[in-house]
Amino acid sequence: MNLELEHASYGVDDTDILDDVSLTLSSGEIMTVIGPSGAGKTTLLRLAALFERPTDGVVRFDGMDPWSLSRDDRLEFRRRIGMVFQQASLFETSVARNVDIGQRVRRPWSQRIRGFIRRVADRWIRSAPTVDDRTLEALDLVGLREAWDRDAGSLSGGEAQRVSFARALAAGPDLLVLDEPTSDLDPRNTAILERAIERARGRDHGVLLATHDMHQAERISDRVAFLLEGELIEVGPPERIFDDPRDERTARFVNGDLLYDENGLLA
Amino acid sequence: MEYRRRELLGASAAGIAAAVGGCLGLGGDQSEGSITGEELALATTTSTYDTGLLDEINAAFQERFGTPVAANAQGTGAAIESARNGNADVILVHARSLEDEFMREGHGVNRRSLMFNDFVIVGPSDDPAGVADTEQATAAFEAIASAQAQFVSRGDDSGTHTKELAIWDQSGAEPGGEWYQELGSGMGDTLNNASESGSYTLADRGTFLSMQDNVDLEILLQGPIEGGPELLANPYGIMAANPEVHSNVNYDLAMAYIGFFTSPEGQELVGDYTANGEQLFYPEALSEDPNFQQYVPEGWQPDSSEE
Amino acid sequence: MPFESLAEPNYLRSIIQVSLTVSLTAILLSTLLSLPIAFVVGFADFRGKRVITAVINTGMGFPSVVVGLLVLMALSNSGPLGALELVYTPEAMIISQCVLAAPVITGVALSAIESVDDAVRDAAYGVGGTRTDVALITLKEARYGVVTGILAGFGRAISEVGSVLIVGGNIAYADGTSKTRTITTAITLETRRGEFETALVLGAVLLVLVLLVNGIVLRLGGR
Repeated sequence: MNLELEHASYGVDDTDILDDVSLTLSSGEIMTVIGPSGAGKTTLLRLAALFERPTDGVVRFDGMDPWSLSRDDRLEFRRRIGMVFQQASLFETSVARNVDIGQRVRRPWSQRIRGFIRRVADRWIRSAPTVDDRTLEALDLVGLREAWDRDAGSLSGGEAQRVSFARALAAGPDLLVLDEPTSDLDPRNTAILERAIERARGRDHGVLLATHDMHQAERISDRVAFLLEGELIEVGPPERIFDDPRDERTARFVNGDLLYDENGLLA
Repeated sequence: MEYRRRELLGASAAGIAAAVGGCLGLGGDQSEGSITGEELALATTTSTYDTGLLDEINAAFQERFGTPVAANAQGTGAAIESARNGNADVILVHARSLEDEFMREGHGVNRRSLMFNDFVIVGPSDDPAGVADTEQATAAFEAIASAQAQFVSRGDDSGTHTKELAIWDQSGAEPGGEWYQELGSGMGDTLNNASESGSYTLADRGTFLSMQDNVDLEILLQGPIEGGPELLANPYGIMAANPEVHSNVNYDLAMAYIGFFTSPEGQELVGDYTANGEQLFYPEALSEDPNFQQYVPEGWQPDSSEE
Repeated sequence: MPFESLAEPNYLRSIIQVSLTVSLTAILLSTLLSLPIAFVVGFADFRGKRVITAVINTGMGFPSVVVGLLVLMALSNSGPLGALELVYTPEAMIISQCVLAAPVITGVALSAIESVDDAVRDAAYGVGGTRTDVALITLKEARYGVVTGILAGFGRAISEVGSVLIVGGNIAYADGTSKTRTITTAITLETRRGEFETALVLGAVLLVLVLLVNGIVLRLGGR
C-alpha cells in the first residue's frame, strides 16, 4: 500500500484550508499529523481517506488517482481505507454487528438479503446470536473479545471508541486513517488503543493518525508531520521533529510557544 | 420478553396479516355472489335511509332478483349531484322541485311517485306567533314572520329544507333577519337546536316522533296525515338515471328496482313498515285512478313551450 | 332500539374488515411512496429543500374533507378518471387515505432521518459503504422515528371520517355487510340515528384496534 499526496490543496468558498501538501505513506508505517486546532488536520485526513476530493493537486493510492475513476471503481479503493473518527458513532445494534458491518457491505446483495431473512427468522425462534472469527479477532486486538454480544449503547465512551477501531480494522483495510482517536479517552483506554494501533502496524497496515497529544506522537510514530494553517511545515522522524526541528515554527509548536494574537500567528 | 408472549403476538400479527390478505380484493363486494354479477347503485337521502325501510326493500329485491343494492345515503342535494355525475343508477329523494329540475335537465327518466308521509310545524308550547290558530302552512309562516318569532331552518338543501323554501315561496312572507337562522344541520340537530332556543321549525313527522320525548316542542300545525294542509305533504319520488346521458349506468336494473318498489309487493312492504309501532310511510305508487302528474314535472303541459 | 345494529353478526365483522383492509393497504402504499421521498429530501442538499419541507408539513394538516372532495371529483364517472369505475368503492377510500397519510409519514420519517448524526453517516461511508449502504444504515438508525411516522399515518388513516364518507359513501348492503362502511363512518351513521350507545361501542372497538396494531408493531420492533 502506498499513499501519496502530491501538492494537494483543499479550499471552500475562496478559503484555502489545505495548501500544497505533499507527503507519502507506506504499509507498516505510522505517521502522525500534529498541529494546532484549525490547522487542517481533519481535512488532510479526509483527503487521504477519499472522503473529499482535492480542489488542486492529486491524491494517489498505489500509483492511481481514485478521483479519475468512476464511483464504482473508486469504491474499491475506498474499501482499502478504514477511517476512525474522534466520536465512536457506533450503530444502534450489538457490538458484533457493528464490527462486522465492513464485511457485510462487501457481500453481494443476494447474500445480504438471505442473511437478513435468516436473522429475522432467528429472532423469532429466539436462537442464540453467533459471531464470526474475524470479528472476534478484531475485538481481541482492542481487548473487547467478550463484549461481542453486548449492545453498543451499553458501552462506556472508551469501550465504544475501541469498538470503533475494531470496526475499521475488521473491514480489512490496508490504510488506517485515525482522526484524534484517543482525544476523549482516559489513559487506560488510550494505552489499549495505542497498543492496538501498533499491532496493526505490525500486521503491515499503514496508519495516518492526527493527534494533539505530542507525547502520543513521540510514543508511537515512525514519522511526524507538522501542519500549520494548511501548510505542511515539516515531516520527519519523531526524534528530529521534537528534539531538532528544521523549522523554527515547528520548534515553537512542540515547545508550546506558538502564540497567536488577533492578527494571527505572531512572528 | 417471554417466549410465549412473543409467540402469541406473532400469531396475532400473522392472523391479522392473513385476514387482511384474504380481504384484499374481497372488500365486502357482494356482487360476486349475485346472479347477474352486478349491483345496483342507489342514491338516496339520509332521513329516508335512516328509517331502515330501504334495508327491508333491498333485501326483498335481492332475494327476488339476485342482485344486491348498494344504497348511498347522502342527503338530497348530494344524491342528486351524484346522479348528475353519473355515479348512481337510480335515485330516491323527497324534493319535488329538485326532482323536476333533474328531469328537465334530462338526467332522470321514468319518474314514479313512490310513497309519502308528511311534515309538521313544531315550536315552543307558548306559541308566541299563534301558529296553532292557523290552518294553512303559508298562514303559519306568515304569522311567524310578522311576529318575528325565532325560526330555525335546516339550510342544507335537504328534502325538508326544499319544502320549507317552497312554503316561504308560496306565502307572502320573506325569511330573513335575525329571527331566521340557517343551521346547515340534520333533522335531529335542528330539532335539538329549536328546543334549546325556543324556536319554530319544520320537521318530518317521523323524526319528530322519534325525538318527541327529548325535546321541548309541540306540534302546532299538523300535516295531511292528521288532517292538516296538503302543502305539508312529503312525497317521495324515484327515478332512473338517463342511460343516454350517462352510458355507464345500469338502466335495466334500475327499472327492475323501480318496478319492484312500485309493485303491489313492494308497496305492501312500504305500508307495513313501522318504527316504534308507528307507520312511517304511506304507499302512493299504485292507484285505480290514473296519476299522470307523477311522470312529468309538476305543472307540465303537453303544449307548453319547453321541450 | 339500542345496539340494534350490533346484533347483526355481519355488521360488526364487515365494518372492521373494511376499516382494516382499507387503512392497512393505504399505509402500505403510502409508506412505499413516502420513504424514498423522505430519503431523497433528507440526504440531498438542494435549493428547494426548505420549500419541499414546508409543503410536506402543510400536507400533514391538510383538511381531509377537501382531499375527499378532490378524489371524488377525479374518480367520478363524469371526471377524468371515471373510466376506472372506482367511485364509491373501497379502492377510492384507499386512495384518499393514502393521500392523507403520505405527508405524515414523509414528514416524520424525514425528521427522523435528518436527525441521524452526520458522524454515523460518515462511519457508514468510512467502513466502505456505498450510498445505498449509507441510506440503509441511516434508515436503521432512524427506524424508531420512521416507525412512529408510519403508526401516526395509520392512526390518521383509520380514524378518517370526512374524506372516507365522501369518496366511499358509507354503503352497506341490506344484510348489513359493509361495502364502503368503516367503523368511523358507521359511528357517524349511528350518531345521526341517535343510537349513541352503539356509536360509543364502535368507538371503543376502533380504539382497541388501533392499540392492538400499535402494540404489535412496537413489540415486533423489540422495544
